[in-house]
Amino acid sequence: MSMHRVAAPKRIRLLALALLAGVSAGPVFAQGTSVLPIADAKSRQAVERVIASAEAKGLPTQPLVAKAMEGVTKRATGERIRVAVDSLAKRLEQARALLAPSPSAAEIVSGADALAVSVPGPMLKKIRASWPKTQSVVMPLDVLTELVARGIEANKALEQITTLMARGATPAHIAGLGASVQSDVAAGLAPDAALEVRARGVMSLLPSPAAQAAGAPRGTKP
Amino acid sequence: MIRRAAPWLLALFVVANPAAAQAPSELRLEAGYARVRQREQAPDGSYRERDSDAGLVAAFWRRPFESWTFLASGNVTYGRDSIAAAQAVAAFSAPWSIDDRLRTEGGVAGARFSLASAGRGGNANAFARQHYLTDRGGTWLGAGVARTTRDSRYSHSTGADFGVWGRLGFLYGSGSYGWQQSSDRPLLTAAGQAVDPAARLYTLSDVELVVEARGGPNSLALSWASRRGISGDNASRVIAVSTSGILQVTERVAFTATAGRQLADPLRGLPQAELLTASLRVSFGEKPLPVMQRSAIASASVEPAPGGGGELVVRVFAADTMVVEVAGDFSNWQPVALHREGGLLVARVRLGPGKYRVAVRVNLGGWRAPRNLARVRDDFGGEAGILVIP
Repeated sequence: MSMHRVAAPKRIRLLALALLAGVSAGPVFAQGTSVLPIADAKSRQAVERVIASAEAKGLPTQPLVAKAMEGVTKRATGERIRVAVDSLAKRLEQARALLAPSPSAAEIVSGADALAVSVPGPMLKKIRASWPKTQSVVMPLDVLTELVARGIEANKALEQITTLMARGATPAHIAGLGASVQSDVAAGLAPDAALEVRARGVMSLLPSPAAQAAGAPRGTKP
Repeated sequence: MIRRAAPWLLALFVVANPAAAQAPSELRLEAGYARVRQREQAPDGSYRERDSDAGLVAAFWRRPFESWTFLASGNVTYGRDSIAAAQAVAAFSAPWSIDDRLRTEGGVAGARFSLASAGRGGNANAFARQHYLTDRGGTWLGAGVARTTRDSRYSHSTGADFGVWGRLGFLYGSGSYGWQQSSDRPLLTAAGQAVDPAARLYTLSDVELVVEARGGPNSLALSWASRRGISGDNASRVIAVSTSGILQVTERVAFTATAGRQLADPLRGLPQAELLTASLRVSFGEKPLPVMQRSAIASASVEPAPGGGGELVVRVFAADTMVVEVAGDFSNWQPVALHREGGLLVARVRLGPGKYRVAVRVNLGGWRAPRNLARVRDDFGGEAGILVIP
């Protein structure tokens, strides 16, 4: 009985620490101070090990901390949080390999999110191959994730996005495609139809393949 | 032939139960057991208390549209020593376009029953209620009419009620005054309210107080009611105290229980009785949600900002008792309370370009995606919406 009375304030302190940590929870954790307010000590330590392991592998850890915080906010059990964080760590590692040779942290996170909605791994490779290595594929990956989450077949969404990329679309064009589809779906259009119509619209803004072949400049890059 | 009231009584109780009527699921099935004590007429004409066992199966269907909601429910009950009873209710609830703090509800109900105390027959009734709602309280004014048949004799009932409610944190309280006039003599005789056998019309005057604690989908309510019955020159008084609770066991399954006295309700043909019920509620459908169907409430949009990024705006039509919060990776999953803007609850968050995950919860319940965002599973048995800001 007395143990319970002692444990409660401790949990409150941990939660307060986490709240104070706010968006900087990742760096604070990296410094070796546990601020994850997971009540179950065994699970908390397991999550910390997963995050430390990811950090040692050079993977971004902020999404892992955010996933743990999401689990806490959603009142998930410690074990469920551990499983979720572990799964995300594996997706991050897989995404890094698929987006090789040198994906940024943001690209790895976007790739992992795409894998989470069941985008096949080879599609990540295809998106990476569709743009110069120096150009970020974060936006194409994010829009692909959103379109697939809306129920659009991954093949169809990928085809539209890679076609646009091949035609010289910028990240802003790709983002605009996602926003337009979202607005059309909100207005009642089927996601598939919205994607087709909007992709055609974006395409009309891009230089023709003949102009590209003649060396016309591509769209502005961010 | 001895007739039993328990099934009909239980059927009515389930449909009339306010906590059950607020359940969020699109489709819900409920099965339970009840112990019912009521007055029934003996062969010599006297009345005596009788205990009955009964089981029930009930269905509740709720279909939210953009600006109004359709509700339908039906149930069949069967007592071990009685015949079956059935009831159906169809109702709507819609806000006014000029001011969504005004909300109108209305509906019709029909039933067939057999009551040991008050005859065999049926009831048809129509009801309407006008609400004025804010985020911390409200008032209502309602009215109803009914026609009831018992052993081929017709009776009519009319009624009106007025009430106020308020919220303080997780506690909800309400007080109401109701008035009914009825010629349903068998029902009121069984309840001990028709003390003047020569009277043709009976008047009931009710005061009711309810206190309810809510935490997400779980709730516990305590009700106290005092009724003054007038028949001719005579008057009687009866007090009813009851309690009811809902405990959400899993995302799909809830346990509900009630205990206490239920006053006779001439508008619905409901006899007075002592009740003890326990039932399991199972929710079906694509997304059985314990608190509020997400498609009914929240939407999210982005208003582009000069220089890139935008303002995420989450809007919730919540012109009632709801406390709504939004959270996401933008807030490190710390809940942010929505504030009232006119008839809506709104949250505005300035965000840079990127992809964000967003979820909304109502009354500390489950976290759900705003209705117009792409939805993804969240690894915790729930969901989140995703949003890409150019």
